[in-house]
Amino acid sequence: MKLNIEGLLVYFPYDYIYPEQYSYMLELKRTLDAKGHGVLEMPSGTGKTISLLSLIVAYQRAYPLEVTKLIYCSRTVPEIEKVVEELRKLMEYYSKEAGEKNNFLALALSSRKNLCVHPEVSSLRFGKEVDGKCHSLTASYIRAQRHSNPSLPSCRFYEEFDALGRQVPLPAGVYNLDDLKDFGRRKGWCPYYLARYSIVHANIIVYSYHYLLDPKIADLVSKELAKKSVVVFDEAHNIDNVCIDSMSVNITRRTLDRSQANVETLQSTILKIKETDAAKLKEEYRRLVEGLKEANVARETDIYMSNPVLPDEVLQEAVPGSIRTAEHFVGFMKRFLEYLKARLRIHHVVQESAPQFLKDISEKVCIDRKPLRFCAERLRSLLRTLEIADIADFSAITLISNFATLVSTYSKGFTIIIEPFEDRTPTIANPVLHFSCMDPSIAIKPVFERFQSVIITSGTLSPLDIYPRILDFHPVTTASFTMTLARTCLCPLVCNLRNPQHGAFWEGGEGPVIRNYGNLLLEMSAIVPDGIVAFFTSYIYMENIVASWYEQGILENVQRNKLIFIETPDAAETSMALEKYQEACENGRGAILLSVARGKVSEGIDFVHHFGRAVIMFGVPYVYTQSRILKARLEYLRDQFQIRENDFLTFDAMRHAAQCVGRAIRGKTDYGLMIFADKRYARADKRGKLPRWIQEHLTDGSLNLTIDETVQLSKHFLRQMAQPFKQEDQLGLSLLTLEQLQSEEMLQKIAQIAHQV
Amino acid sequence: MDEEPERAKRWEGGYERTWEILKEDESGSLKATVEEILFQAKRKRVFESHGQVRLGMMRHLCVVIDTSRTMEDQDLKPNRLTSTLKVRKRGDRGDVGIITTKNKRAEKLTDLAGNPKKHIAALRNAKDSTCGGEPSLYNSLNLAMQTLKHMPAHSSKEVLIILSSLTTCDPANIYDLVKTLKALKIRVSVIGLSAEVRVCTVLTRETGGSYHVILDESHFRELLMFHVKPPPASASSECSLIRMGFPQHTIASLSDQDAKPSFSQAHLDSTSGGPGLSLGGYFCPQCHAKYTELPVECKICGLTLVSAPHLARSFHHLFPLEAFQESPLELHQGERFCVACQGELRDKSVFTCPWCCSVFCVECDLFIHDILHCCPSCIHSRP
Repeated sequence: MKLNIEGLLVYFPYDYIYPEQYSYMLELKRTLDAKGHGVLEMPSGTGKTISLLSLIVAYQRAYPLEVTKLIYCSRTVPEIEKVVEELRKLMEYYSKEAGEKNNFLALALSSRKNLCVHPEVSSLRFGKEVDGKCHSLTASYIRAQRHSNPSLPSCRFYEEFDALGRQVPLPAGVYNLDDLKDFGRRKGWCPYYLARYSIVHANIIVYSYHYLLDPKIADLVSKELAKKSVVVFDEAHNIDNVCIDSMSVNITRRTLDRSQANVETLQSTILKIKETDAAKLKEEYRRLVEGLKEANVARETDIYMSNPVLPDEVLQEAVPGSIRTAEHFVGFMKRFLEYLKARLRIHHVVQESAPQFLKDISEKVCIDRKPLRFCAERLRSLLRTLEIADIADFSAITLISNFATLVSTYSKGFTIIIEPFEDRTPTIANPVLHFSCMDPSIAIKPVFERFQSVIITSGTLSPLDIYPRILDFHPVTTASFTMTLARTCLCPLVCNLRNPQHGAFWEGGEGPVIRNYGNLLLEMSAIVPDGIVAFFTSYIYMENIVASWYEQGILENVQRNKLIFIETPDAAETSMALEKYQEACENGRGAILLSVARGKVSEGIDFVHHFGRAVIMFGVPYVYTQSRILKARLEYLRDQFQIRENDFLTFDAMRHAAQCVGRAIRGKTDYGLMIFADKRYARADKRGKLPRWIQEHLTDGSLNLTIDETVQLSKHFLRQMAQPFKQEDQLGLSLLTLEQLQSEEMLQKIAQIAHQV
Repeated sequence: MDEEPERAKRWEGGYERTWEILKEDESGSLKATVEEILFQAKRKRVFESHGQVRLGMMRHLCVVIDTSRTMEDQDLKPNRLTSTLKVRKRGDRGDVGIITTKNKRAEKLTDLAGNPKKHIAALRNAKDSTCGGEPSLYNSLNLAMQTLKHMPAHSSKEVLIILSSLTTCDPANIYDLVKTLKALKIRVSVIGLSAEVRVCTVLTRETGGSYHVILDESHFRELLMFHVKPPPASASSECSLIRMGFPQHTIASLSDQDAKPSFSQAHLDSTSGGPGLSLGGYFCPQCHAKYTELPVECKICGLTLVSAPHLARSFHHLFPLEAFQESPLELHQGERFCVACQGELRDKSVFTCPWCCSVFCVECDLFIHDILHCCPSCIHSRP
């Protein structure tokens, strides 16, 4: 249907529309009009993706000069594929309705592993291997060498692409990963480089967060993207953690040993080159004197997105003399490594700030701040000069040099923690240096600064006001949308089972709670059909509980009703368990999946319809509060952003709880029970932090229930939901035709859906 | 005994939150809503006329009753099993067989037969049996399939499963069996007593049956009544004429000295007791075999023996009585008495027959549509 959203003609590829989709588009349009950033929360399964796509595409068509590009970031490859499929549907609708062939180019981008078509390289199993192998075939100096020695192996796809691919742009259309591969095979071009080249002029790009947030990758892939782009982060409830991870460095003894080996290799290579090709090193030296001026010019003229690892000051200066020659630099790195090694030889925990660390290093081994800052850039230049083919081998030393640059660049927002052993195994020495980023805004800052509109959206973003604070930006729109329902298909219940403390496992006094948990599971297994997913707060906690259940004979009784599957930290085991779980749900045997909040299952795996008729959340999934990194981060949040520790912990726990229970409802025809088995959820501070679409259905009558009451309510709910439910029932209420949408009454109702914060 | 448990153990209702549907009217009184609820309950069964659709009148129905552990649940009083068996008693034209499933096995309780008496007796016995173990959908469907497989193509083959459990214990992949059932044109319907189970959804969708889950006892009864109505025949099923015999009941008068008691053919192989010898009976018009009860299929010549009322019972399915028009009492002019019961019209709606324009009250409307199947006033006016 064709919608008129405040004067903008939007093509929507379906005959019906949910009221909240309309409302979502309204808010989105206002955000784009204001050229600002937005935070939008809308429940999963209400067609967020298609609303986003249809509105932004319409906007791009209407104002081609205002918005030139849409950058859609999602988390996993299947999600990326889903977005592309929606987009394809939209484009088909456009060409059908408008009658003309539109010249939109949309494509997905992923790693070499997912895009490589080279018969040998693509058969490798790990992403790193593929990258390394590809590099050894396609690096510029390798290809230069081939001119003199044609017997060297080459990648014909890359060669073809390099010869012809850049002259003609990729024909307009929608390309997912497989389409790109097909196209590449047909033309004999490398799909990966083709895609990377094409994103510059593509109208829509769909790729992973990391291409924009991880400075190492963003520098390669995304730095030339136009300023007038709209960036969308979908499923963004964990975006702060992604930011932090991309800026943090963990150094173990193993890393140091491998770096040591790297340095040795560098040294011998330098010696060799010196004998054969001294001019090359001289040339490099000259370049370094001139400094990184080129990069600076590019950034000033707005061509490149800035890279947080490469601070502005570095660009304006020449590389300091002490590390300009190759030998000196290697010697410098050696000293630095020795220093780190010495630091790791400790028996107690050390925590210090970056300035403290810099002071110490200058006192002990006379390394100044300035050369440290150039470390990353200098190493890159050296690796280029030495023509080392297999970059993957040098990941350890690259990591160290990144650390050096970061630690000397940022005096705020980072902390250094050196732990001599892990908390769980205090007897085994395993020293780790955590260089931990505490401020997610550092990594995402360039994105907010460079792009005109950044939209952060997910099914669970509550409380909405905390994201702008921790990411340090000012959104023009912050809105939460509820789900309009023809029948209440979600049933959140809070069970009171005398809670344990903070989700951690205490030896004493836990018995009755565990037994109650067991009884709840047992009762639910008897009345809920097909699949139940139960979430625990941690693996250790789950192990302990399952062991006690086994002793108490609860497991045996549960197994009479349903099969039991357990998630483990091992990915292969878990996916096996998942597969069998789904099979058991499919053929009527029924199954229970015991899993862990924050685990693989809780993020990204959907339990549609019969795969998840009930979700039980045992306890409140607080993060492990004893961790020093967390403590440092909490302190930082309190000092810098005035967010109290408790608020942040609760926020973090509740967003994970919401994620977990949200797994059960993936659309309006779906239904599911959400059982919070901990009375703390009934408290206002927890309840208030749940997404509004769940909160709405959490009435006083569904709080503080006993097991019996829960069972009765669930039974009633399940019977109610099993009654036939047709599309006609939804029409006019939660599903609208164009005429219904235009009625005055409905527009008023729609205005209430969006809840501005 | 039958009525007693309904009222007796109300405390077991536990947390049935009946007050939730109540709403106060403007003056704070609940009366209006209570009346509304009762009224709605009465009118609930909507008559959806199939119009001129060929119905599968010859039905072969296998009823599978789950008698697994979950049947002992007390949410239907006094427990699910007794309640189910109570509801099951009903008469209909067509051949019915009963299968029970428990402990991962399926057992045949009664064979396919048109005579309801036997089923009721068997069910009465089953009421006292214990429930246990898990049901097996596969085994019971397999058993039903073996029975129904050989039925003629013109008849409608159906399986009705009354399932209480949420799990099934199957020896093989049930989806293969579903395909076989679909190929054999056996329609499987399920009434769930607890919640929607995926495998049943697929099963009924694939085989063209219906899937319902009960809300409470009255809803359960309603759903069963829904299954009494013959389903529309699928276009592909062949039509054929069926030979039927209408034997007359002849009773040799007691004064007749020549009369000798004789065995009914139907009793020859039945182990259950009952009077073996009787004086009178129905004699097959083709081979003169004697039967004491109808309907039955002649053991000797295979002729279907029925009596006229049996056929008439199915007749109303083909030509259902049209629904009466509902109109508010205020608008009704003329007599304020129900044509049928002569009672005063007090409910807020009255029902008018579209043919003779007679006016009925709710109770009579229901009685006419459920039991009589013809308008008493029309019969008077149309000789």
